[in-house]
Amino acid sequence: MTLVAPALLDLRITLPASLNAVEEFFRSFRRQHGFVSRPGESFVAELLLREALINAVVHGCGRDGKQQIYCRIRRRGANLTFLVRDGGEGFDWRKWHGRDSAATAESGRGIEIFRRYANRYRYNKSGNCLTIWKRFSQEMEHD
Amino acid sequence: MTDALITHEQDKVVVKTATDVVAATVGPLRLSLREALSTGSSHLVVDLGETQMVDSMGIGLLISAFNSISKTGGQMEIVNASADLLALFKTMRMHQHFRISGK
Repeated sequence: MTLVAPALLDLRITLPASLNAVEEFFRSFRRQHGFVSRPGESFVAELLLREALINAVVHGCGRDGKQQIYCRIRRRGANLTFLVRDGGEGFDWRKWHGRDSAATAESGRGIEIFRRYANRYRYNKSGNCLTIWKRFSQEMEHD
Repeated sequence: MTDALITHEQDKVVVKTATDVVAATVGPLRLSLREALSTGSSHLVVDLGETQMVDSMGIGLLISAFNSISKTGGQMEIVNASADLLALFKTMRMHQHFRISGK
């Protein structure tokens, strides 16, 4: 994994398309940066980015660790933006858009999490690039 | 590191997770839950006291455990969830399936 931080809250990351790489990224990120200082907001921010990265790993790249995922994390005041792009053929987000998962369904909650926690999210047409916008209630302070 | 500790308390089987319940850990945690369910206990308790994060795949795993024990007429509960996890479970309507309590 490479971690390049040209500005404090403008991070550009590439990581292998594996679940372990995602975990390693969050372990490192929790230690080094954190998204925001308030615990509840940090939880929501991490949850949103996790879902985006996991979708890219599992659905975009088929867990092929030889493929790479690009991620950009930007914060401007209270606004947090995530962009996650993979080199796969694209995730069929239309299948899940606007739908709640069935009560006892064992999968299919990723996009529901975007819908419930993000202010806005958008996939590109082919489904391999996702942008998520989250605005927190107050000006965020960095740890 | 062991992903979960399984103990028995009277008629309950308790699975205490030692990690986050996320995509990278659902595999080993699924094995622990299967082992707990194989004891035949009708009351499964999942203790999330050491867990900071549960993602959509983790939610799927918990629902899967609930579905399994429901088939045999048993019940499931989640205990020691953080405030963030309690809010997540409520948002995702999990409290409609089983009892969930916080730290």
